[in-house]
Amino acid sequence: MKRLLKYLKSYKKECVLGPLFKMFEATLELIVPLVIAAIIDRGIEAENPSYVVKASLFLLSLGIVGLAFSLTAQYFSAKAAVGFVGKLRYAMFEKVGTLSYSDIDELGTSTLITRMTQDASKVQNGLNLTLRLLLRSPFVVFGAMIMAFTVDVRSALTFAAVIPLLSVVVFGIMLITMPLYKKAQKGTDKLLTRTRENLSGVRVIRAFGNEDEEISAFRGENDALTLIQRRVGRISALMNPLTYVLINIAVLLLIHTGAVRVSEGNLTQGEVVALYNYMSQILVELIKLANLIISITKALASASRIADVLSIESTENMGTLTKGKDTDIAVEFCSASLSYSGSSEASLDPISFAVRKGETVGIIGGTGSGKTTLVNMIPAFYKATSGEVRVLGEEVSKYSPEALRGMIGIVPQSAILFEGSIRENMRWGNENASDEDIMNAVATAQALDIVDGKGGLDAKIEQGGRNLSGGQKQRLTIARALVRKPEILILDDSASALDYATDASLRKAIKELSGTTVFIVSQRASSVMYADKIIVLDDGMAVGIGTHSELMASCPVYREIYATQFSEVHDG
Amino acid sequence: MAKKTNAARPGTMKKVLGYIGKYRLLLPVSILLAIISVCLTLYVPTLVGEAIDLIAHVGEPEFDSIDRIVGVLIEAGVLIGITALAQWLMSTINNKISFGVVRDIRNDAFTKLEELPLSYVDRKAHGDIVSRVINDADQFAEGLLLGFTQLFTGVLTIIGTLAFMIYMNWVIAAVVFILTPLSLFIARFIAKRTYSMFRERSECEGAATAYINEMIGNEKVVKAFSQEQKVLERFGKINGKLNRVSLKAIFFSSITNPSTRFVNSVVYAAVALSGALMAIPSINPGSAVALITVGELACLLSYANQYTKPFNEISGVLAEFQNSLACASRVFELIEEKSEIPDGENAVSLSEVSGNVRMDDVSFSYTPDKPLIENLCLEVKPGMRVAIVGPTGSGKTTLINLLMRFYDVDEGQISVEGHNIRDIKRRSLRESYGMVLQDTWLRAGTVKENIAMAKPDATDEEIIAAAKSAHAHSFIKRLKNGYDTVLGEGGEGLSQGQKQLLCITRIMLSDPPMLILDEATSSIDTRTEIRIQRAFFEMMKDRTSFIVAHRLSTVMNADVILVMREGKIVESGNHSELIAKGGFYYELYNSQFAR
Repeated sequence: MKRLLKYLKSYKKECVLGPLFKMFEATLELIVPLVIAAIIDRGIEAENPSYVVKASLFLLSLGIVGLAFSLTAQYFSAKAAVGFVGKLRYAMFEKVGTLSYSDIDELGTSTLITRMTQDASKVQNGLNLTLRLLLRSPFVVFGAMIMAFTVDVRSALTFAAVIPLLSVVVFGIMLITMPLYKKAQKGTDKLLTRTRENLSGVRVIRAFGNEDEEISAFRGENDALTLIQRRVGRISALMNPLTYVLINIAVLLLIHTGAVRVSEGNLTQGEVVALYNYMSQILVELIKLANLIISITKALASASRIADVLSIESTENMGTLTKGKDTDIAVEFCSASLSYSGSSEASLDPISFAVRKGETVGIIGGTGSGKTTLVNMIPAFYKATSGEVRVLGEEVSKYSPEALRGMIGIVPQSAILFEGSIRENMRWGNENASDEDIMNAVATAQALDIVDGKGGLDAKIEQGGRNLSGGQKQRLTIARALVRKPEILILDDSASALDYATDASLRKAIKELSGTTVFIVSQRASSVMYADKIIVLDDGMAVGIGTHSELMASCPVYREIYATQFSEVHDG
Repeated sequence: MAKKTNAARPGTMKKVLGYIGKYRLLLPVSILLAIISVCLTLYVPTLVGEAIDLIAHVGEPEFDSIDRIVGVLIEAGVLIGITALAQWLMSTINNKISFGVVRDIRNDAFTKLEELPLSYVDRKAHGDIVSRVINDADQFAEGLLLGFTQLFTGVLTIIGTLAFMIYMNWVIAAVVFILTPLSLFIARFIAKRTYSMFRERSECEGAATAYINEMIGNEKVVKAFSQEQKVLERFGKINGKLNRVSLKAIFFSSITNPSTRFVNSVVYAAVALSGALMAIPSINPGSAVALITVGELACLLSYANQYTKPFNEISGVLAEFQNSLACASRVFELIEEKSEIPDGENAVSLSEVSGNVRMDDVSFSYTPDKPLIENLCLEVKPGMRVAIVGPTGSGKTTLINLLMRFYDVDEGQISVEGHNIRDIKRRSLRESYGMVLQDTWLRAGTVKENIAMAKPDATDEEIIAAAKSAHAHSFIKRLKNGYDTVLGEGGEGLSQGQKQLLCITRIMLSDPPMLILDEATSSIDTRTEIRIQRAFFEMMKDRTSFIVAHRLSTVMNADVILVMREGKIVESGNHSELIAKGGFYYELYNSQFAR
């Protein structure tokens, strides 16, 4: 949590002035009952109308000054809260940029997004309320008590007794109901899940004729929820009556002691009225305080989650090398293996192979066989747990991230494009690419028809590429990787949504890129069979490395894959 | 989520009252309790005022004031107790009514969900329907409760306070009455001004959230292209704008409270001034005594405070209540949707299904202006395998929809075992098919629960046997808790292939006489694919089956192939017939299946 305070530093002034002005305002409110007392004792009793007028004008001016103070305070609080959270959001965004793939896997992107959106706004709200009320409410409560003591010590003892009692009631009810509200929320979530499932699974449920069972299950869950809601309702319904009784009994006691004190000549009638007024002020503020504490607890929980994000130590540990050696070997794996953190089994068992510049490597195997793991080690997205991965003769983590990844064009499995024009998306590959460069890449990626169809490079791509089909997205992501004219091109199963004809012409076009080392990951034997080298992976292990004909002769797994995909044609 | 209108449709209140009708005995009690508690709440301050006045006479020997004060205070104490009790009972009753009403509405809404025609479910955004059943119902409950407890008592309090004030001193009552609307006016003025600021803020917030979602959600791609710095810069700009807009919106909206507080203090000062002046006898010619006592003034001052409070609350509560009615009307809209035509009285249950399916001149379209299936005739004999092929989007699933009677045919008829399916109980018809869709559906729950959906009373042995024949047993066994492994919603935690195997297991367990299968596509690796295919073939033995086919082997072994294109069946026949014909199937075969 301390980590967050440094972001608040530049708002020191606001954080002090906000509550301070709130306190000024509260002080003015505390003066009001005294003025009323004076009106009664010195205006009415002394039959002095001009005093009454003056005192009333004074009341009015208290109101005006109070308004001014309070507006100032609101402004400073809002400024501090908004500014602070803006900085937090920015810092989190920046932090995420420094994380490694493993870090991101561990945290999960949805968690990170929640921290930056929902948690951030809870903190903003919490800080704003805190600056406004945290000092004010207790100040009014205790201020009223202290003022009461200055009026008359003996009568004020009632205050000392009633404030703790009120606090017990208000906070007690809050503490009891909070977990119940959580339970009710869980109940609502259950209904939500069931409703959603009954929509998404409407065909299956009706196919099995399970409608009645679903209805009775829903009713059961609904009844359980109603039960909890009613119980919470009954308990929180105690708040108003109980505080009402306490405050009013206190008022009655106050008047009784007041009457006795007046009869002893120690108190005036006006002062009794003042004490009565102080009593009413307490309750309102105490309830405000209780609500405030709820939001502060929530905000604190959110703040600590944000602090967790900011305190992550990135495991991205790269060097500063900007250039590789002058060597003919583009990529080399030297008994490199990888186990993801948190997993006991290796995702990739030690593997060794070397790829010359300009060669095409096919990687084939079933789901979960380690294909993506292997290619992700080349741009050092994940680092070898043992052994080494070298690019141009240097261990990958010796490079600076920009230098290493600048040499590599990768087309990830899931085709992701961003909101913006096609040109903007293509320039992710190379900021300085000319339209001609882009169009060349687009042509190689067999995506000319998409760009033409959409109306040129200025055509908008919607968020997540919603206005494109799966195959179109794949071809554009391939073009994006080609724009940087990479020395190493990695296609991670990125032609799965293409038909066989397009797939073939794409492979042909890529083959024509001279000097580019290409890695093609696929489940289709047809995509890799013409590669210079094919790596067959099975359950994280390389069970065969060689050309198509070598593997057909020596590798049973490869033969099986090939057979399942090609036998059908021979059947006919 | 669909657009939310903020107005309730006419008649909503009447429907709400219909639901409240169930609690008609409680309602008058609640109202009576509200009247009691409001009256007493207003009466107690007058007693306090009386006691304060008695203090003035303290010390006058002939006047036993302390005793009289004690008498008044005891009376007040008793009334306070009664008030609190009434308040609590009222809240409890209102709770009971509100949550009960919402429970009933929700039950009706969910029941409706199970009766809605598929065309509705397919057409509407699911998020919108869910939000009606859950969020709208929730907000309605809150609004109803608030309406019961605060709206009614608030109005009563205002009327009562006015009456008490007029009774005590009409001049001061007039002062209060004239000044209070001021605070309402100010509050409304500020709300109007801040509305556009808040809209701007939520737009900015939306933009920032979208950007965060897009970039953080795809951080790996950002890193792969070393775009971290550029993306951060752009976020800095979006964030900066959000901050500026937020500050404005938050500050201006936070003016409301101090402003109404200020109006309150104006009212307070005015009451103090006018009351105090009237309490001084010497400046009120024509009356020897004061027009108002100090006690009454104290009482009026506390009224002045109380009186403005419900005013401020009521405008908020009113908006809330209105909104809750709008929510209710959205739920009612769902409840009042047309249900599927219920099964006819003479509808039969199929007892022996051997697998005879006939389509006579069937025509169907989702929208009248776009004819889809026209005059389709098909005769399927027991054990026949019907393959449906065609490019994506050609309407292959429409046939499944018609066979399962998820949609009714427009013309012609489909019959199973000689019965028009309209004359068969839906449940019976659907249970005679086992359906595995490509779009696998699993629910939150254990693996076992998911498999047993088709047959809730299945024994563990039966479940395991079904899993074995679906080639799913080996992977289930390896899950953390085997058959008791809890899956997330949508089968979270399983791969696509595993999900499909579970869905096949489900059908294996229910052992239906006919099958409808949607084959998997490329997202599954070849070796899992082989397993799934084996499972499929196992099931299809001797069963009439309809298969949306992607694999050549399936297509070639089919007895009938229906070739679909743009929603229509353009060719049908077996493989060699269609190849010989040299039509669309021939083309499709060459482009899609030949490698």
